[in-house]
Order: sequence, then structure tokens, then C-alpha cells
Amino acid sequence: MTDPRSVGSAALPRLVGARVARREDPRLLTGQGSYVDDHRPARLLYAAFLRSPHAHARIVSIDASAALALSGVTAVLTGEEIARASKPVRAASKTPAVKVTSFPPLALGKVRHVGEAVAMVAAESRYVAEDAAERIVVEYAPLPVVTDMEGALEAASPLVHEEAGTNLLVAREFARGDVDAALASAAVVVRERFRFHRHTAICMENRGCLAEYATGSGTLTLRSSAQCPGIVRDVLSDLLDLPENRIRVVAEDVGGGFGAKASLYPEEIATCVMARRLGRPVKWIGDRREDLLATSHAWDEIIEAELGLDRDGAIVGLRALVTADVGAYSIYPWTAAIEPVQTISFLPGPYRVPTYRGRTRGVATCKTPLGPYRGVGRPPAVFVIEGLMDRAARRLGLDPTEIRLRNFIRDEDFPYKSPSGIVWDRSSFTGSLLRAREALGYDAVRAEQTQARAAGRWLGIGVASYVELTGIGSAIPVSPGMPIATGTEAATIRFDPAGKVTAVFGVASHGQGLETTLAQIVADEVGVPIEDIRVVHGDTALSPYGTGTYASRSLVLAGGAAIMAGRAVREKMLVIAGHLLEADPADLVPADGRLAVRGMPDRSVTVREIARAAYTGAKQLPKGLEPGLEATRFYDPYYGTASNATHVAVVEVDRATCQVSVLRYLVVEDCGRMVNPLIVDGQVHGGVAQGLGAALLEEIVHDDHGQLLSGTLMDYVVPSACEVPWMEVHHLETPSPVTLGGFRGMGEGGTIGAPAAIANAVADALAPLGVEVAELPATPERIFRLVARATR
Amino acid sequence: MKPPKFEYHAPRTVDEALALLGRYGGDAKVLAGGQSLMPLLNFRLARPAALVDLNRIPSLAFIEESGGGVRLGAMTRQRTIEFSPVIAQRVPLLKEATRWVGHLPIRTRGTVGGSIAHADPSAEYPAVLTALEGEVVARGAKGERVIKAADLFQTYLTTNLTPDEILTEVRLPAMAAGTGYALEEFARRHGDFAIIGIAAVVVRDGQRCKTARLATAGAGPVPVRLRAAEEILERDGLGEAAIDAAARKATELVDPDSDIHGSADYRRHLTGVLTKRALVRAMGVARG
Amino acid sequence: MMTVRLKVNGVAHEGRCEPRKLLVDFIREDLGLTGTHVGCEHGICGACTIMVNGESARSCIMLAVQADGAELMTVEGLMQDGKLHPLQEAFREHHGLQCGFCTPGMLMTALDFLRTNPSPSDGEIREGISAVLCRCTGYQGIVNAVRAAAATLRGGR
Repeated sequence: MTDPRSVGSAALPRLVGARVARREDPRLLTGQGSYVDDHRPARLLYAAFLRSPHAHARIVSIDASAALALSGVTAVLTGEEIARASKPVRAASKTPAVKVTSFPPLALGKVRHVGEAVAMVAAESRYVAEDAAERIVVEYAPLPVVTDMEGALEAASPLVHEEAGTNLLVAREFARGDVDAALASAAVVVRERFRFHRHTAICMENRGCLAEYATGSGTLTLRSSAQCPGIVRDVLSDLLDLPENRIRVVAEDVGGGFGAKASLYPEEIATCVMARRLGRPVKWIGDRREDLLATSHAWDEIIEAELGLDRDGAIVGLRALVTADVGAYSIYPWTAAIEPVQTISFLPGPYRVPTYRGRTRGVATCKTPLGPYRGVGRPPAVFVIEGLMDRAARRLGLDPTEIRLRNFIRDEDFPYKSPSGIVWDRSSFTGSLLRAREALGYDAVRAEQTQARAAGRWLGIGVASYVELTGIGSAIPVSPGMPIATGTEAATIRFDPAGKVTAVFGVASHGQGLETTLAQIVADEVGVPIEDIRVVHGDTALSPYGTGTYASRSLVLAGGAAIMAGRAVREKMLVIAGHLLEADPADLVPADGRLAVRGMPDRSVTVREIARAAYTGAKQLPKGLEPGLEATRFYDPYYGTASNATHVAVVEVDRATCQVSVLRYLVVEDCGRMVNPLIVDGQVHGGVAQGLGAALLEEIVHDDHGQLLSGTLMDYVVPSACEVPWMEVHHLETPSPVTLGGFRGMGEGGTIGAPAAIANAVADALAPLGVEVAELPATPERIFRLVARATR
Repeated sequence: MKPPKFEYHAPRTVDEALALLGRYGGDAKVLAGGQSLMPLLNFRLARPAALVDLNRIPSLAFIEESGGGVRLGAMTRQRTIEFSPVIAQRVPLLKEATRWVGHLPIRTRGTVGGSIAHADPSAEYPAVLTALEGEVVARGAKGERVIKAADLFQTYLTTNLTPDEILTEVRLPAMAAGTGYALEEFARRHGDFAIIGIAAVVVRDGQRCKTARLATAGAGPVPVRLRAAEEILERDGLGEAAIDAAARKATELVDPDSDIHGSADYRRHLTGVLTKRALVRAMGVARG
Repeated sequence: MMTVRLKVNGVAHEGRCEPRKLLVDFIREDLGLTGTHVGCEHGICGACTIMVNGESARSCIMLAVQADGAELMTVEGLMQDGKLHPLQEAFREHHGLQCGFCTPGMLMTALDFLRTNPSPSDGEIREGISAVLCRCTGYQGIVNAVRAAAATLRGGR
């Protein structure tokens, strides 16, 4: 078989690997994006939700008469009414480790967190809809509130879900070897109780959706700010009892997702039910208050962990207990297991850990549900293991980089099976750390630190190395036990008779630049200029079957599918061209955008001529060849692949205000073969900024009654340009041996490495005081208290 | 997050505005720059029957030197103050403080009178007004009165303006050439309200400190004049020991509250830290 | 209902709305200019930033009736004669946007900032654009873009 890429490369410059300016930018820069809220079909109604002011309360009665009496109000839906039109969501699980509970679209019987949707109004404007929501009278009978995740496990605790019989919704254990014996005989054991507080994504575009039900054809169209249109389509089919071919879910431009828009949300179901009931389009655009109350939160874990090492600093065992506050509901499709199980699965990091026991618990409380967010479980996992490595290094008198080098999985160990069963393919753990040391000028910075300390300054250097699983195929569920398959994605590549290409994908882009990177891959495979390619994504009516964008999978899976479909199309092009030129396809070579017979540049055809021939009937085609020029291919990378990086932060803690300033930030990342370095850098920058927010600024805070205290963007503090440092990004390119194209996913990594690197840098800065950083975010208040305790 | 219904009036004169306030008998709110009131309306935390918008009263926007001071019309935009040569020359502390007020697009709309009348204890302008011992002019149905900074602020978001009064003017004494000044502020994110802010003014006479003025933002329900700390400086001068003593004293003079951004202890600690920083910087600017 | 007459991007418009209607909703819904985005409705995120009489302001904390008689500029007015503005060009070249949601407000903010400070340092650029929150880029591409655009604009293009 001809290698289609060698065919392409001779004719056109290779685009994979090039810094191609983004193709989505011109429309986004000129105000011509197409976000959900930009659509206003005729007869549109605007929705607002009445949300619970209580964290836990029985609903005694709901009286919507005053709301319905208001001019401009069309309808009000309550939990009982919607229950007749939609099943409750149940994030099923194949594993007994997860207790399955119901998540009704509107509260049914009782409310379980402040901000839970209780009733929905449809009205002529959002203004009137809010007026009406205020007029709905709900009588609540308050119930005892469950806010403390450890208290929730006590026998006397009230239950969030009576059907579960317990607040322990997730319990799982991973083990390898006899960790108790290993720790008992270890030369050094370091232990800590880590706390990573609650976080949320804050996409700049709040969640929203617009449902239209065509009564004549019985078809439902949902525009949604969703990362996973395919998942939403599939589950709506089940919940609303509509066939999948009558549901179209569209996610055109989406203003950031970061995992928080990867789940099914109650508002999407309620909006569909309302639109179907009224036969009119209904749009709900969440506001920022709703976003903070009702978009999934992240992390919120207590991790007790112990690491044993021998005298030389080699790990002998790791034992840990993760407890996660998963909030009020198990989110679809990922279930309540996604965060706590991911944390315990990834805790061993890029290290050889001969013995391990990791237990994890997901505990229901009366708070907003926990869901996937950039990094899922790994930011806390890396915070813990890297924090333990630094504690061990201090105990053993080793440099933090040295202890890591002694424990990394070595080149000869790959493929390496981790204690939780994940297989790491060839990665650059050691290489990334050595490169980071060199790029930073590590020894010089250490020398600076010594001087700074002598001058009384609190300067610290923090290192964090991690490995993540990306581009996961069918062998492993993205979230343990989850009810849906996530191992494949497809691409359709279609020439039109004019020789232009449409490439359609089931994944969805919400800032990652997939319209550019996937076009680069397609251009290289089929051998046409990128200007001739249009990438279509995020529309279930147009795309082959797929789920969407999450878990750092889209470039790996959709890119792999693009390679397969592109090669299939290219093969057919060669066959047709050979027929037209009366030559053996194997003798054809590209020349100036044409295909020519080798050594005879005059005997050639254009792409346009080939495409036209493909569609104009049998006379132009080889006997028996099916007309048309398109291919759909599904790609399943099976296990998936690893991505890894080393992050280094240099920080100074202000002795007086206890504020942390990041003086330098450096990343050496390895995402295999890079498709577009411009976009790779952008993903790293954005990820690090979110990780920095998590490390220093951002925290969802509830009071003891479950009331949200960080309910505005003044109180939930995401970093501005002044808080984010300049970032130096270096790349290693170790092509993945197990994915098509050698790509590795990399959208989440920045957020995985940054909290640990910054926490370790702060701890290093404060090392002269003998304090450790075990709680994030490391706010000035927390550092003030740490310092006060140490110097008292 | 859409505002509840209200009636809206945009009078052209202060008299018209006062008549409207009188008509609503306390149920109307005055809309100045709107950078605080509009968010409150959007959250539906404020529900006035009517808004009386001052933005179309031209006579309320001016900066004038008069006698030994500067008069600012209440509707003078923070952005105008930021770029005003008169303010830069006569009340440079106000210019410096303005840079800490939100961000440029906020200052485009935000006004000096609105910020002061809103009386957010974490805001910069109330601290400046307090440190400079300025005054505001309020007009009501019964006429005009002048309120000293020390009398104006009652508690959180509350001044002693009555609901039928409008703050029309802010009067600040000019800072004599050579006066040292600084506004030090600590916020977790640039442009946010202060966790603690300190406005400092010092007038030097050789090694002596003729006058010291210190006022806080964020250290309690109203701006706090740190008089006992000022007295230390006026007695002992501006040496390091005196500044340290004044900063220590400052921590004893405030009674801040705790919230999710900082505990009372931390705020008290910051009061000392920023008092010292403000004084050191003010000293560096001072001549005489 | 009140009448609002204003100019947006040089074009005169007239509409009627309740006094409580936010300016950003008027621009998006009544005028159909959806380039300006709603991000927080409490004046923090800056996504809705537009130019009001030549100065940047948050349109989510202004009433439409307050803009009666005003001249506004939105992101749709930045492109001239079919050509991207140097800021837009620079944002594209330096990857100053990802999801694009903050971008219109960021562009308007940067435009105003560069008028008040045509030769900013990087620190000043960060301070200037800190008026708008971006969750995608970590701001690095934006800082690079604003620096490059400043140079282009100084060059008199």
C-alpha cells in the first residue's frame, strides 16, 4: 500500500507540527460566533428556574398561581409535573462500588442542596420569567443538613438519599503487595492529612440551552453549551422516550467547558420537556449565580496518605485513604465515582510503587454535585504524592529532583502497570525532569534561594512531575463503572464534486481549536490545502456516532479517525486518478496539487477532476468501483496513552502579608507528536492558570447550613492577568507508540501539575519555619495561620 | 440576574431630582455611576420603587479649585479624576487611590459621589475622604448642609444622608506641596475591593512630623481614623521606631470583621503591615 | 416602556424597552448585535465591555435608557473596510483567544487601554487587561497580542 502521507508530503508542506493560525478566530474576533444565547428563533420563550434556598428540606407544597397570573408568563413546571414527562436521571454503574441514586430534573419530594432547581418558568422574556419565579410560593419543611463529609459517614447522620441507605455512595480499594509490612520496615515513613478544597470551573460562558420541538415531525432540537452532544442525545432519547434519530443536539461555539459542561444537566431535560409541552422554542441561559450554585463542583477531598522509603530514598510502599465530598447527586454519565476513584487510581504517579493500598470513599452531602473538571482527581493526587515526595526528600536530606529521579519508572520498565492497573506506555518522566532542571538553571536558582534566605526572604522552588492517561479507548471506562462506552470516535471525510473537503466529527470544540488541528491532520492525509477543508463538529445530526470532548481524548481519537478516513479517501483518489490517467495508482505522485504519473509530470489530473469523476458516474470510474468520494472510519485506541510533564514554580511568600507571588513558572511537557505548537502552548498556559487559581485563589465555601458563601465572582476569585505569571513552556516529543499519529492528549495537564508545583514551592519557601503545606488553596489567610503557629 | 421592575427618572437639575426623591418618600434610590447599585439590582438585593438617575445633571460633574481646596461635583467620574491635572497637583492622594478603584471600564462610569455615598467600608474613596478630613455637601428639601467625613459614615453601606438628600459635592483640602502621601492596599486580586487599605498623609518639618493622617479601608464597618497612631508620629517623628510603634498601635485601633477573604486577626495584622508600608512610602515622597 | 435612540458602530438605532432593561440585553436582543457577551451581570468578568462615547464600560451594569443619545462601539465595529483591526490581527497571530467568549470584551478593553497608554510595559498590559477575566488562555497570548498591537498602532497603521 502506498503511504498516503508520503504522497501528501511531496506536494504540500506538512501541516502537522506547524504553528497554523486558528481557523475559528476570524469569526470569534469579529463578534460572529454562534453561542447558544445568540439564537432567537421565532416565538421564543425564555426560561428561569426557581432554586432552593435550603440545603436540605422537604417540599410540602408548591403554589404557582401567582406566577401564572403574571402577564407574559406561559407556563410553570414543577418536579411532579416533569416526572410525568421524563424519567429521573440515574447514573448507573456496572460496579457495586457505586450506589445508584436518582437525580430528578426538578426537585421531587425534597431538595438536597442550595440552588437545586425546584420549578421552571417559561415567559416572554427572562425579566418576566425571573419576576414569575419569585412569585412561586414553596413551603419547605427544613431537614437536618449534611455538610461535613466525615460526619456524614457516622451512623447518626441524616441521609441525603434514603434509597441508598447510607451517605457512602462510592467505596473502592486498589491493592498491590503487602503495604503494611513494607511500611512497618521502611527506613522512613512520611504521612500527612491533605485537604484540597472545593473548586469550580467558571467557564466565561454560563451554561445554557435552547430546545425546539417540531410537533409535525416529532423531532427535538437542543442547542446546548455542551461538551458532549452525543451523550446528551443518547440519554435524552431514553429519558424522554424519543428515538435517537428524532433528537438533534447541537453545540456550535461553546464558551469554555473544562469538564464542567461534559455532564448532562437538569436544565437541559427541563427545557426539552417545556418546549415539547408548549410546542414553542424555549431558551434557558444560566446566569453567574446559577453557575456557581448549580454547575458541578470539583475536588473537595481529604486524603490521608503515608509513603515509606528505604534508606536510599526508594519507595517501598504507599497507603492512602481518599474521602471526597461528592455533593448531593451522582452526575450523569460519570457517576459520583469519577473524582474519588480517579484520585486513588493516579496517586502512585510516575513512580515505581511496589506495594500499595488505596481506599477511596465518595460521600453524599447537601452541596452542589461534584463532577468532572480539568484534571479530574489528578490535581489532588499529584498534590499528595508530590507533597509526600518532598517531605521524604527533606527527611532524607535529598534534593527534591534527586528523590524523583531515583523513583521514576525507568525507560526499561515500559510498558509499566501501575498498582491501580493503568498501563503506562513509553514516556519521558526522567527526560522531562532533567530538561526542566536545565531550562530553569536549577542549581543557580537554588543558589539564589540560599542568598535570599540569608537575607530573610521566603523564596521557594517547587517541582511536580506527573503522568496522566489520555485518549482512552474501549479497554477502560473514562469513569469507573460508568454506563456508557467512550472508547471510540469517528470521522467522515467527504469530497464534494468541486474538490473541496468537509470533515465531520462527533467530538465538539469549545476553545481547543479542533477546527484547526483536525483540519491540519486531514490536509496532510488527503493532500489538499487546508483552505479547502471545512471541519464540522458538535452536531449529532451531521456527524457519525460519537460522544464528545472530555478526558483529553479529542485530538487522539478524532485525530486517529481522521487519519483512517483520510487514508481511505486518499486510496480511492489514487484508484480513480490511476484510471483517469491509465496508470498504476502505485506510480502516481503529487505535483502542484495534482496527481501525476511518476516521471511524467504532463500526465496528471487535479483533485477537482478526480472528485468530479467520483460523482459523475460509472464511465469515468474503474469497473465496479462505487461512485462517491467519502469515508467514515471509527478509531479505538484501546488502552489509550500517557502524557507527562514536569512543572517547576519559583515563588516568594511575602513575610508581612503572607501572599504568594509566582516569580517563575516552567513547564516541560510531552504530548507526543504535536499537531500545532501554538495551540499546545495555549492549552498549557490556560491549564496552568487554572491550576494556579486552585493553588492560591479559588475556593467554593459553604457555611454549616450548606449556604454558599462564594456566590459571586467577587467571592469566588479566579485569577486575572495580574495574578498569572509569565510561563515558559518546553516540549519533548516522544511519539506515542500506541496511537495513530503518535498523538497524546494534553488539554488537562497544566491544571494537573500546577497546584502541586506551587504547593511544594510555598512549602519550600517556608521550610525554615518547619511548616508543611497540606491544604489548598494556600490563601494568605492560611499561610498567615501556618506562620503564626510556627513562630508562636 | 435581571433587575426587578422600577420606575425611572432622569432629571436635568438637582431640584428636579430632590422633588422626585420627595415624591417617593424613601422608596427611590439615587443612581450615580451604577457600578455598585446595578449589581445589587441585578441580584435583586435592592428593590427600589424608582431610580433617580443623576447622570443627566450636568451641574454635578466638575472639578474646581477653590480657596485652599478642591471641589468635586458628585457625578465627577473616577476616570476624569484619574487623568485630571488639578487632582494630580492638588490632591495627589486621590489620584493614587483612584488607580485602585476597580478597573478602567469601571472608573469610566463610577463617580466620586457615588462611591462615597455607597459607603462600602472596603472602598478607597471613603478612606481618602477620612484621611484628608474632607467634607461632602448634601442637598435636601430643607436646603444644603456640609457633613464632615468623621460624621458621614455610620456603618456598612450607611451614611447619615437622609433618603431625601443627595450628595452633590465632595470637598477636599488641597495637599500642600511637599506633603507625603500613599495609599497601600492589599487585595487578593488586582482591582478587587481591599481586604485592608491604608491611606496615609504626612507633613514633615525636618525630622519632625507636623501632621500625620491615617485612615483605613476594610478594617471595620466604617473607615477608621487611626488617631492614636498619628499622635505617635506627631510626637516622635518619622523614624523607624516611631513608624513601627504607630503600625503596632494601628492594629489595636481597629476592630475588623471576619469574612471568607480574611479573618479579623489577619485583617488586624495587615492593618499594621500596610500602615508601616504606607508611612514609609509617604515619607519617601514628603519634602520639608 | 421608554424610547432609546443611540448610535452603534456609526449606525443610528431606535428601540423601545422597559427602563430596567440592561444595555447589554438591548444590544443583543433588540439590536441583534450578539458579539457582545453576558458573563456575570455584576461587573466583574468584563465580557460585556463596550465603548460608550469612546470609553470602555460594562454594558451589564448600565441600563439601556442610560445610553439614550450615546454613541456606542461594539466588537462588530472594530473591523474596518473588511480588514481586521490590528488588535484582532494580533490576537489571531498570538493565540490570544481560545473559546472566544471573553474576546469581544477583551478587545474593547485593550482598545481603550492602548488609547490611554500607547506604549505600555508588560506589567501595565497585565493591569490593563485585568479588567476582563479569561479562563482559557492564561493571558499569555493576550499579553503578547496587546504588546504586538501596540507596536503596530504606534507605527501609525
